[in-house]
Amino acid sequence: MTAPNKPPAEGDFVDIYGVRWSRWAAQLSARLDVIISIIIALAVTAAFHLHFQLLAGDWDFWVDWKDRQYWVTLTPIVAITFPAALQYVLWEKFRIPLGATLSITCLMVGAWIARIFGFHLWSYFPFSLIWPVLMIPGALVLDCVLVLTGNFFFTAVIGGMGFAVLFYPSNWPMLAAYRLPVEIMGTLVSVGDYIGYTFTRTATPEYLRFIERGTLRTFGGHSAWVASAFSGFVCVLTYLLWWHIGMLLSKVTTLPNRWRSMFGMAPDQTAATAPVESHDAR
Amino acid sequence: MRAEWAKQLSRAFLLLLGVVVVLPALAHGERNQEPFLRMRTAHFYDVKWSADKIAVNDEVVVTGRFRLFEDWPMNLPQPDRVFVGNGTPGPVLARTESYLNGHAAIQSGKLMLDRDYEFKTVLKGRIPGRHHVHPMVNVEGAGPLLGPGSWVEISGDHRDFKLPLTTLDGTKIEDLETWGVANVVRWEGFWLLTALVFAGWWLRRPLLMTRYRALHEGHEAALVTRGDRLWAAAFLTGTVLTVFAGAHWAENRYPRTIPLQAGQFRIDPLPKDEHEINIQVKRATYDVPGRSMKMTLVIHNPLPHPVQMGEFMTAGLRFVNHELPAAMAQVDARYPAELLPRTGLTLHDKAPIAPGETRTVNIEATDAVWETERLTSLLTDPDNRVGGLLFFFDDAGERHIANLSGAIVPVFIGS
Repeated sequence: MTAPNKPPAEGDFVDIYGVRWSRWAAQLSARLDVIISIIIALAVTAAFHLHFQLLAGDWDFWVDWKDRQYWVTLTPIVAITFPAALQYVLWEKFRIPLGATLSITCLMVGAWIARIFGFHLWSYFPFSLIWPVLMIPGALVLDCVLVLTGNFFFTAVIGGMGFAVLFYPSNWPMLAAYRLPVEIMGTLVSVGDYIGYTFTRTATPEYLRFIERGTLRTFGGHSAWVASAFSGFVCVLTYLLWWHIGMLLSKVTTLPNRWRSMFGMAPDQTAATAPVESHDAR
Repeated sequence: MRAEWAKQLSRAFLLLLGVVVVLPALAHGERNQEPFLRMRTAHFYDVKWSADKIAVNDEVVVTGRFRLFEDWPMNLPQPDRVFVGNGTPGPVLARTESYLNGHAAIQSGKLMLDRDYEFKTVLKGRIPGRHHVHPMVNVEGAGPLLGPGSWVEISGDHRDFKLPLTTLDGTKIEDLETWGVANVVRWEGFWLLTALVFAGWWLRRPLLMTRYRALHEGHEAALVTRGDRLWAAAFLTGTVLTVFAGAHWAENRYPRTIPLQAGQFRIDPLPKDEHEINIQVKRATYDVPGRSMKMTLVIHNPLPHPVQMGEFMTAGLRFVNHELPAAMAQVDARYPAELLPRTGLTLHDKAPIAPGETRTVNIEATDAVWETERLTSLLTDPDNRVGGLLFFFDDAGERHIANLSGAIVPVFIGS
């Protein structure tokens, strides 16, 4: 470490991305990277998980809610929000294309923590009923499209559509086993239906499920692809909206303190000249 | 002095915390349901539990009947979509079968008011412990309507639990609890690893402050290089190919799949009695200090036999006429004792009601159970009515069920 009262020697500097840094500052920056990254990961896990539970909760919680219509439509629309906002911050401020992968991975980790401790150990639900959805492939596509195009509009259109369209096929390798037909008491149901029936959610009867009861099948028999296409279209719009939310939330704004005099302090000098000062990196 | 006071307060707080933390939730708050939900919706009767002690994997069968009450509360939706369930503390028992009037009740359907239904639920012991088990019907818009609850003790080890199944394509599932879970962990683990590899490419380099400064000093080309773009292109291609390869594998592995089923059942109610005993509530009071419900009833017997009143049943409480052997014979030994008031039903006129006769009869149902079951809060209900079933028995011992409903008036000053 360089002593503060002594000018640093030439060898004490390093070049990082074409910028000259003192070795001490670079080391400090690396430590801050680790600390801030951990804080960001924890904050995103908590906030995104809460957001996702509130808006797509039951479709993600239970295997007998993972239908071909609402689950496919709603889940990507709800899940593309944080990736879009985080992509803005990480790409526009740092050129790091990890916004989607980071947020979706954090969501997945948060969901597994909730399933293991809240649903399984606390409430006795088996994992066959409560496994969380997989959205990492869609997130990787979002981030890769951002790297390749460097353009948020193309990321919204191509990546947003890809995020939704890849949702169903990326979950199908896990879900297919729960869609095998089985005869129970003379009634045809899927294995997933029976798992939901047999491991009772006491106050959640069968009729509360929001599952495929629409008429999307008229478009060719398999409603999942129609639902995916519609979801993709809405994902594009949601992405654009949340990209701008990311922009708004990462703006550094200084507001004059108009209440200082109430506490016997001198009035804010910036109030008269600069009521709102905004620093936008763009 | 102050330190001593603080110490005492801390002890009291810790004691209170201990009580709060240690006390387990034993039942489901059924006593907290409003009395109108328990007295004027689904009346469960003849409820029986096949066992009160079972081991893990053993079955307990809950059977009985319920009547959807004629005087259904106006503020509740009609029973157009009803599911026959069971009230347990979560999936401590696995429900393997359930029937309504002998038909499968795995889905929901429309039921009729003032009609009776026979149910049967087969539950398999899963989580060891002492659990409160209720029959239940869920009515869309009205919520869960619980029948009487009985304690069932499950012994053994949860790890021994197995629920095997064979699908229509011949796939043998060893245990539904673990079916497909290993595949989920493998597939999600693979993608989590993939995400970490993708992220690692970027995270191995200096991150936040250095990149921020470089970007604002115009060194963008150093931040996202050609190698980075090739890496992203490779991942993009690999991701899409892997996803569709995985889906293709699943299609081949499980070629015969079906969507989630969303149908409804159509089940006719049990046949109705040709002649029903008619009850008019002339006056009903609840004596608050005496904990006694007193009713003056006008009873008309249209049957060709004389009948005697044997039981007043409401909210799972059974006030049985102890002097009528036919009524006492209906009480199952496993019926929860706390729902069988010891004083029973008191009749002021015990003579049988002759065929075609109309008679005014005074009855009393007195017990502290009105308080312990929190049914006295019906007095603060905006729709202040009492409802229940009256069980009559003819000279051959055959049972006839009649509806009882009417306004009720509280009596606050003891006579």
